[in-house]
Amino acid sequence: MNLKNNREVFLSVAADSVFLPLVTSFVENGAVALGLGRAEAMSLTLATEEIFSYLCRIASPDEMVEIRCSGGGYYVRAVFLFSVEDFNMRAFNLTTTVSVDDEASLEEMGLLIASRTVERFQVLIERGKGVQLTLIKEKKYPSSDEETVPKARPLKEFSIQEPNPEEMKLLALLVGSHYQDLITPEFFEYPGKFVDMLESGECRAALALAPDGHLGGGIVWRWTGLKTVECFGPYLFNQDPDSSIPESLLENCLGAIAKTHAVGLINRYPTDDLPKEHFEPLGSLTIFNKDGSTASLTAYFRQMQEDPGTAVWSHPELEGFLQGEFSRLVLPREIRLVKDLGETKTRFSVLSTEFDRSRNVVTLRPIRPGMDAGTNLANHLTLLSRESLRSVFFEMDLAEPWHTEFTPALLKHGFTPRIVLPYAGKSDIVIFQLGEVAE
Amino acid sequence: MNAPPLNKLVPEHIKCFEPYIPSKPDNELIKLYGCSHLFRLNNNENPLGPPEEARGVIDRFPAARASIYPSGDAYHLRHKLAERSGLDPEQFLVGNGANEVIGFVIKAFCQEGDNIITADKTFAVYEWVAEFSGFEARLVPLVDFGFDDEEMLDRIDEKTKIVFICNPNNPTGSYWDEERLRGFLRNIAGRQIVVVDEAYCEFVEKEDYPDGIGLIREYPNLVVFRTFSKMYALAGLRIGYLAGDRDVVDIIRRTCVVYSVNGLAQEAALAALNNQEHINRTREMVREGKEFVAKELDILGLPFVHDQGNFMMIRLPMSDSLAYRKLMTQGVMVRTMTGFRFPNYIRLTISSMEAMEAFVEALTRIVPKGEKP
Repeated sequence: MNLKNNREVFLSVAADSVFLPLVTSFVENGAVALGLGRAEAMSLTLATEEIFSYLCRIASPDEMVEIRCSGGGYYVRAVFLFSVEDFNMRAFNLTTTVSVDDEASLEEMGLLIASRTVERFQVLIERGKGVQLTLIKEKKYPSSDEETVPKARPLKEFSIQEPNPEEMKLLALLVGSHYQDLITPEFFEYPGKFVDMLESGECRAALALAPDGHLGGGIVWRWTGLKTVECFGPYLFNQDPDSSIPESLLENCLGAIAKTHAVGLINRYPTDDLPKEHFEPLGSLTIFNKDGSTASLTAYFRQMQEDPGTAVWSHPELEGFLQGEFSRLVLPREIRLVKDLGETKTRFSVLSTEFDRSRNVVTLRPIRPGMDAGTNLANHLTLLSRESLRSVFFEMDLAEPWHTEFTPALLKHGFTPRIVLPYAGKSDIVIFQLGEVAE
Repeated sequence: MNAPPLNKLVPEHIKCFEPYIPSKPDNELIKLYGCSHLFRLNNNENPLGPPEEARGVIDRFPAARASIYPSGDAYHLRHKLAERSGLDPEQFLVGNGANEVIGFVIKAFCQEGDNIITADKTFAVYEWVAEFSGFEARLVPLVDFGFDDEEMLDRIDEKTKIVFICNPNNPTGSYWDEERLRGFLRNIAGRQIVVVDEAYCEFVEKEDYPDGIGLIREYPNLVVFRTFSKMYALAGLRIGYLAGDRDVVDIIRRTCVVYSVNGLAQEAALAALNNQEHINRTREMVREGKEFVAKELDILGLPFVHDQGNFMMIRLPMSDSLAYRKLMTQGVMVRTMTGFRFPNYIRLTISSMEAMEAFVEALTRIVPKGEKP
């Protein structure tokens, strides 16, 4: 074991089951040292056991696996890294090793089992670089005590400031008591988690405070991809309708990311106080309420930089949607159609899967095209429906012509292209959502 | 061959930093945005082109000279600048655009743990160069669109090496008059290097505007930047310079890249300095353009910010990046201001009347009637 810094430890072992006890012990003790409670550390250890056993089954015993554990304040992350030269990447389809019709064999699926015991699970495969399996287990936090929420009053004077931990908790409590669940991200339910998220740098916040420290509003933002920042709010607490607080909060957020590599700022849970003149309506996504109902929320977006224009790839069946969106959003794009001219294709496709169990969300991403794209996608959907995951998304990067080959299968199996996120990947990303558009 | 271990090779402050991606060439932008022409109103270029004498130098430049190294330290240009200012030629350093001399100064004076101070909403390169060199950039908010001298003084500590002032400020056009600049320099009392960037000084017609170079004798910690890219319209040749106290410049010269300024740029710059008529004509064009645009913006009900310089900032009732795209489809290229921390503002270069009319026409089409920011 090497201690790289106070917040990351790593272990390098061969993919041989004799090392299983060492690996599980490493992750369990590492997780505790990095801040997880015993019960959460054990969940992460169980997931690790499944992952490492799975890797031992599919890899040769001399294949090296590196395991990195790092603390992120409110969670511990375990990452399994290894190369896959001459390796059957198909094994990393969530569905490959079993028949989805066979309940018994489903229980043997190490990757799926691992995904159940953690909050977030991701398989990332980069061609030529290797495989990265990521498990994220969060700490347990008490939920907020809403009886202690103080009353808010209109502010005559205010300044925008970064919050201290107690102010963060207050912000979480006030958001919880002033806004409906639909537009309130889950982390506000656990003020302690929110504090840890801010302290670890996972997100940032700005508050509108009166000279006496009274809290009038706030905004929170965090990176949600390599080039996109997501903001939540602005939230206002009993302020005058013509208050300048929302504008000031948003400008603070914009100023903070203005000189970063962010190309876009998105708001998927807009409040009534969002200064919409700063944004463009990108499209809508279906949000699932806790009571099982659905609602359609408009996602707002703004580019942070001047758009230099680019060429994108499209399947002919997606061309109409893209033309409409590029025209509506005034995005300078040259659409290049991908045509099947009878060339030989690989047989088996590969999809990566990212689970976010805390939000009941799963995101599929193409890793490799194949003639079985439709079947592979269908198998994934069958599996996911059994997992009671309600929001299923598929992200297609228009920089990759072969990504677009999944278009017919997506449309056939009930996905709808919902929004285009400019430059969110190597190029624009189209987000498909499974199911009909909510009314 | 294995890929280099970039994670180990690259310093942490570089990992956090993003490269600046310049605009695509005009012909590519015209194709992508589907416009038939392009008015470049984004870089504060001078549409009148270089002064006549500089044009002559460019026209006559013999191809054979391209095979010969230029003067490594712009010898003749430095002598000419010295002659005009009454300083010594050794008090000037010429760079490949004023951007290059920013790097020289920061490299000369900053080491690990040091910081520089500038404004939060000003020319971005001071902050960028400091940060990708691993130094803290302390950003002081503007007050009424101008540099806040008192707050800047308050932010100085023992690790502060350089204070950057953009005078007049890009993009707001505000400026410090001579009394204010002198007061600031008195308060600094020589403890830090004070850089005054005068990229737009030739556009200023105010009598109380200070000539930074003229103050160097009194304030040896003062370093002044100037450029040939704006008023003298030599942006394509990349040439700018700094002036300062002889001992200070001697230190900066140690970090200076010699031979970085090409021979054509040196000769064109030398010739450009002689033409006051060019300055007068440009100022006249800027006056007329500003007056026209200001009147039209009043009619549209759009707030704007302008003072000195060949540019103005306009507040829009929409995202500046959306406005950029919409204006581009009509052949008008402006600068978005989100990157300057002025979201929903655009900066317009004041240019020929034809370009200003095209801008107003395009703007009128994209701003919803009756909608004010």
